[in-house]
Amino acid sequence: MAKRNVFIIGTGITSFGESYENSSGKLASKALTLAIENSKIPKESVQSTFIGSLVSGSNSQPTIGANCLRESNIKTPHVRIEAGNASGSAAFHQAYLGILSGVYDCLAVVGVEKLSDFVNVGVVERILGSTIDYQWEFEMGATLTSLYAILTKAHMKEFQTTMEQLASVPVKNHKNGVNNPNAQFRKEIAIERFLNAKRIADPIGKFDSAAFCDGSASVILASEDFILHNNDISSKIPILGSSYASDNLALHHRNSLTELNATKTAAATAYKMANIKPENINVAEVHDSYPIGEILAIEDLGFFRKGEGGKAAEEGLTELNGEVSINTSGGLKARGDPFGATGVAQIIEIVEQMRGEAGKRQVGSINYGLTQNVMGTGAITYVNVLGKEEVKK
Amino acid sequence: MEPPKIWREKRGKYLAIGIECSDCMTKQFPFTENCTKCGSENVKEYKLATTGKILHFSIVTQTTDEMMSSTPYLIAIIELDDGVKITGQIVDCNLNEVKEGGDVRMVFRVLARNGTEGLIRYGYKFAPI
Repeated sequence: MAKRNVFIIGTGITSFGESYENSSGKLASKALTLAIENSKIPKESVQSTFIGSLVSGSNSQPTIGANCLRESNIKTPHVRIEAGNASGSAAFHQAYLGILSGVYDCLAVVGVEKLSDFVNVGVVERILGSTIDYQWEFEMGATLTSLYAILTKAHMKEFQTTMEQLASVPVKNHKNGVNNPNAQFRKEIAIERFLNAKRIADPIGKFDSAAFCDGSASVILASEDFILHNNDISSKIPILGSSYASDNLALHHRNSLTELNATKTAAATAYKMANIKPENINVAEVHDSYPIGEILAIEDLGFFRKGEGGKAAEEGLTELNGEVSINTSGGLKARGDPFGATGVAQIIEIVEQMRGEAGKRQVGSINYGLTQNVMGTGAITYVNVLGKEEVKK
Repeated sequence: MEPPKIWREKRGKYLAIGIECSDCMTKQFPFTENCTKCGSENVKEYKLATTGKILHFSIVTQTTDEMMSSTPYLIAIIELDDGVKITGQIVDCNLNEVKEGGDVRMVFRVLARNGTEGLIRYGYKFAPI
């Protein structure tokens, strides 16, 4: 049997930031409703809903789909899928497999997180502790930020990566974020502010990490058959590759701290599925929760040689319409990071780029786009490759 | 802090007991019933070396409330003299004294306190030699 093609036919996203008036279910419902409207399909045709979320919000309701679907007045089965900060991509991947298998023809994916309710000291740190080795790293005193500081220092030591090179990552992402109407921070920040900020986990400064926030993003996936029978659908972006890989949870069990093995493995599979090479990618959304995250990503995805990511960032090769445009949405840094929603928001940015709807963020000439979404310090990484509408498998 | 969990983990966190595989001879931590390298069930309990050196370290300024009273503190990946790598805090020194490659010994300390009346969680940390 020939392999089925899977397409993204609609997207919906809420603005990211502090959203005190909305619960997690309500946020998810807003994004889902927008995505169904954008697909121009009757909502009854959605066969199931896959929800990606790290924590369900402060109402302790893990089956978040029940609240979301009731708000949207949609009656489908639903399931919540968790893969730490990569939960949104995990839900997307499972839906992709659902259509690929032939069991489903039309599925909804929703990524959501509601973090501004957690106002007490240390609650979000504990949530993030669950994305690293909770027993043998977090409970012994390590935090996600301190482990990223160790990854940063290892890269600086081995490849002479400088503070200026690291700071050029958030500077560029904030510049891109200015033109993203859904971003939490739409403001350029000068490099000096990053370099002179107080260190929270040396060498990581106060402005270096992405801010956790509230938000939801949703996409609708469909098979070719379904699209043939629904004439109103106006856009179909093909998913050319979708893969994930895992690595040891604890940094002390890894062989190398200057690469994320899970990223390399997931990317190799996704490129093979799409039958392309890293140099074919024109635009990518990568996991820049800390500056070193983006530098490791652009090296491990094969855009730049190992050790040269910092230099590439500083020389502007990753800017909008550079050699490869990285994080045109502003990335996690400027868009804000509602953990479960981030992976789906990354996919929506690439879909908008492929449709030519990214406005001032639009990359000139593109054929292929990629997303990379990481849990914790790289214990799980998801990589997706999307193509332009006319690109066929 | 759940008492059954603290009780269950006591040999790992209080005594630093891992395993030695009798087939591939590797030493590993934490304790598992199968070797994580070769899969053998032929493993025995093994007490980790108590000295080692600092491979990587960083500083923690913000964490969960039960550990906030210790901040700022140093966190490090240590390579013990038997080759096992482990994550732990560096204590009994000034924050700016610590260097990569520095020698440390394992010590037993309070890790976290649950308010003034809750349980105290203990475990290993490391002190410069």
